[in-house]
Amino acid sequence: MVKTKRRRTKSERTTLREKIISFCVLFVVSVVWIIPLLYMVGTSFKSELDLQVHPETLFPSAWSEWTLEHYTGFIIREGKIDNMPLWMLNSLWSTLATVGLTVLVDLLTAYAVVFLNFKGKHVLMKFLLLWMAVPSVIGTAPSFAMYSALRNGLGITGSVESYIYIYFWIVVPGITGIFNMLLMRNFFDSIPKDIVESAKSDGASNAKIFFRIVCPLAKSTVMLIVLFTFTGGWNNLLWPQLLLAGESSYWNTITVALTGYTGGSAWGTAGVATATSVFALLPIIIIFIITQNKMIDGLASTGVKG
Amino acid sequence: MEETMTLPQRGGDAERAFLSLQNLEKVYPNGEKAVYNFNLDIDKNEFIVIVGPSGCGKSTTLRMLAGLEDITSGDIFMEGELINYKPCKDRRMAIVFQSYALYPQMNVYDNIAFPLTINKYPMPAVNKVLTADREIRNILNTVPFKKFIGVLYNVFAEKGKTGAKIEEVANIFGISQEAGKLLCGFFLPHKKETLEALGGMEETIRSEIVGKLDGVVAKEREELAKNGISLDEDFHILDENGNAKTEIRSYTPYEIKTRVYETADKLDLTPYLDKLPKELSGGQMQRVALGRAIIKNVPVFLMDEPLSNLDAKLRLTMRSEIVKLHNRINATTVYVTHDQTEAMTMATRIVVMSKGFVQQIGTPEEIYNRPVNIFVAKFIGSPAMNIFEMKLDRAGKCLRSGDFSIPVDGAFIEKHDSFYAEKKEEFSRMCDSFDEAAGEKVLKILSVTGEHGGKRVRKKEKKSIWQSLKRKKTSAEDELEFERSVCEQKRDDLVNLSPEHELIVGIRPERLKIELYDPSKKYDGGFVVKPTVCELLGGEYNVHFDYCGKGMVGQIGAENKVSTKDEVIVRFSAKDIYVFDPITGEVIG
Repeated sequence: MVKTKRRRTKSERTTLREKIISFCVLFVVSVVWIIPLLYMVGTSFKSELDLQVHPETLFPSAWSEWTLEHYTGFIIREGKIDNMPLWMLNSLWSTLATVGLTVLVDLLTAYAVVFLNFKGKHVLMKFLLLWMAVPSVIGTAPSFAMYSALRNGLGITGSVESYIYIYFWIVVPGITGIFNMLLMRNFFDSIPKDIVESAKSDGASNAKIFFRIVCPLAKSTVMLIVLFTFTGGWNNLLWPQLLLAGESSYWNTITVALTGYTGGSAWGTAGVATATSVFALLPIIIIFIITQNKMIDGLASTGVKG
Repeated sequence: MEETMTLPQRGGDAERAFLSLQNLEKVYPNGEKAVYNFNLDIDKNEFIVIVGPSGCGKSTTLRMLAGLEDITSGDIFMEGELINYKPCKDRRMAIVFQSYALYPQMNVYDNIAFPLTINKYPMPAVNKVLTADREIRNILNTVPFKKFIGVLYNVFAEKGKTGAKIEEVANIFGISQEAGKLLCGFFLPHKKETLEALGGMEETIRSEIVGKLDGVVAKEREELAKNGISLDEDFHILDENGNAKTEIRSYTPYEIKTRVYETADKLDLTPYLDKLPKELSGGQMQRVALGRAIIKNVPVFLMDEPLSNLDAKLRLTMRSEIVKLHNRINATTVYVTHDQTEAMTMATRIVVMSKGFVQQIGTPEEIYNRPVNIFVAKFIGSPAMNIFEMKLDRAGKCLRSGDFSIPVDGAFIEKHDSFYAEKKEEFSRMCDSFDEAAGEKVLKILSVTGEHGGKRVRKKEKKSIWQSLKRKKTSAEDELEFERSVCEQKRDDLVNLSPEHELIVGIRPERLKIELYDPSKKYDGGFVVKPTVCELLGGEYNVHFDYCGKGMVGQIGAENKVSTKDEVIVRFSAKDIYVFDPITGEVIG
């Protein structure tokens, strides 16, 4: 019996062609995105010699050239634990505070905008949308002026007070992002009004509806916002750098500290610079792994294209 | 000058009826009027069905009643009390939605329990200790000792918090939390012993428990005597006048559990209590939604098309279920639907609405047999009423269309003449002094006849800032322009009525007598037609045929094998016809 090869139907041919094209495009894009990342990870494991001799390879050129010394180098320097964990801690708590407050504020604002009727609701919404169009960098100079004026006015000089004051200024502006609130609002809009009305007629107050009905439903969107805000907060550089300039080096966040390794006047080698960068990336990867499943639901239900 | 404010006099019905809706109107913020002048008095235990095509304002009315929608004007009274401004949670009503509105993240149990868990309710105050004492003694007397001690032993054999154990004991025996606490306390000294050893100690444990109970009761009684609190025989705490005191508290978990199981039992939901709404079928979800309404124990049920999302067969069973439920719990129900069959089968009274106007209120028989206008006649009944045009022949005392005629008596002609005389006068009066009320009357006529469908909505245009700056005023006359022109046109139609004008004649398909035509037989009256479609329903055929260019339907028993090749003779008796005026749509006679 001779097996004749079936000619593909037209739709099959088109889908195959589409597949090939999309594969090529996606491959190029992902290579462009991934190569720097791989280079960073690889370089962080190269020995000093390999760094000098083979800067062109992604990974150490031989098994003997793999080393962890850059990692140990910045964590423990001269027999003492270096500032790196401290900087991580600074970044971590300020970022977590930003995330927590952002989620709270976004949930409350979105609930008010969607489920409550108040005067000027539409005006408020339009204003917020308009605000989104303003690049946040524009606010930097006035914010800084306000920051220093307040600091002088309040006469904050003590080291603990200054620390708290600076971190207040790092955390609080981060929670005012409109985009996340819009995500939340889109999700709340998708909740059938019947559910809320039925809860109302069951006798639930707004607080009860918020905590018992709406918030449990919003879990996946909350996860999405957690991821967005966490990456945003963790990677925040410009504003903390401005505030922390000239302060004690113990107070630095990880991004500000990293500029010391990677910037023009860096004191670390390429190996240490990449190692610190990898280290700084870890929390984001962890957060991503925690939130990814829920986040995809969130993306689907809020109508945001990923 | 000082003048005391007096409230407008309310009709006496408002006080008498259980639920009274008076002159209810709704205008949406965009200027669209959804409900006009809705008046209805509902007695206790009535099953009211509001029926109408989609967009007729029936759901809006229900939502106003439930307190989910603001009332533009009019009043709602419940047992004589004005409840316009009461928030919906205080209205003692339960609402069931078309979409079920179950909380997706909660299981069936939590869904049903939700109304109980979030509110505090007034309940008779009870002395817990003495009730617990009675419960424990009851168990000791009724439950076999082996089983009794086995349960306690098993509960304490597991690891866990004491609180959880108390709850478990209370649940197993069906006793209050307080009793569970006492019982666990009594058992605690024996928890190290084996089951066999415990089994042998029946007498000692019994007497020990009774002894301890006596001690607790004596102590509690002493405490009560000291505080001067008196109880009745069921341990209700009494006030100075000897009446049972009430306290406002939330339900205990045990009470919630019993209530939920009771409700689930009523609706056959017990096997599904652990499931999430998304794991249930449509009928089950609907039952959960009903359960959530029942558990609130309120006198009024509001249902917004609760069966529309179910398949046809389930709809039939749920229909009877809801009526049974309504009767069992002595509820007063307001039910909204667009399905006239549901309205006919379930209602004690039907409200037919169209385009925001109430067309007719009455029992199903009244609505079916004596429709007040052509809209009601066409809307109620399945298949719909056959409509055709005929002319009144005064000389021949009949309604005539071509060579077909239906005899009428002198009384009908009299009625016809007086009807038109009255209408002529009414319309010329309306045109002479045209005001808001007359405009509404015109709109109501249009809602009956279905003319000018698109133009009816008179939107109050939102004034933009620019318009208010220009101060362009639109006079009230302009706003009523459309109604006025319609009114004048109708008046002209009435005035220029020819003596032999057209009338609309309706006959229900069930009243048509259809037989297979046999040319050899002699028939008196009737007309012979060829069916265009014959639909077999099982017991009967729906025979569609054209007559005078109008599609009509009739019914014939299935024993007559009728097909489109046959000819049928259609006859009906003159008393079964309805005659409507084509200008106003109202019934004549």
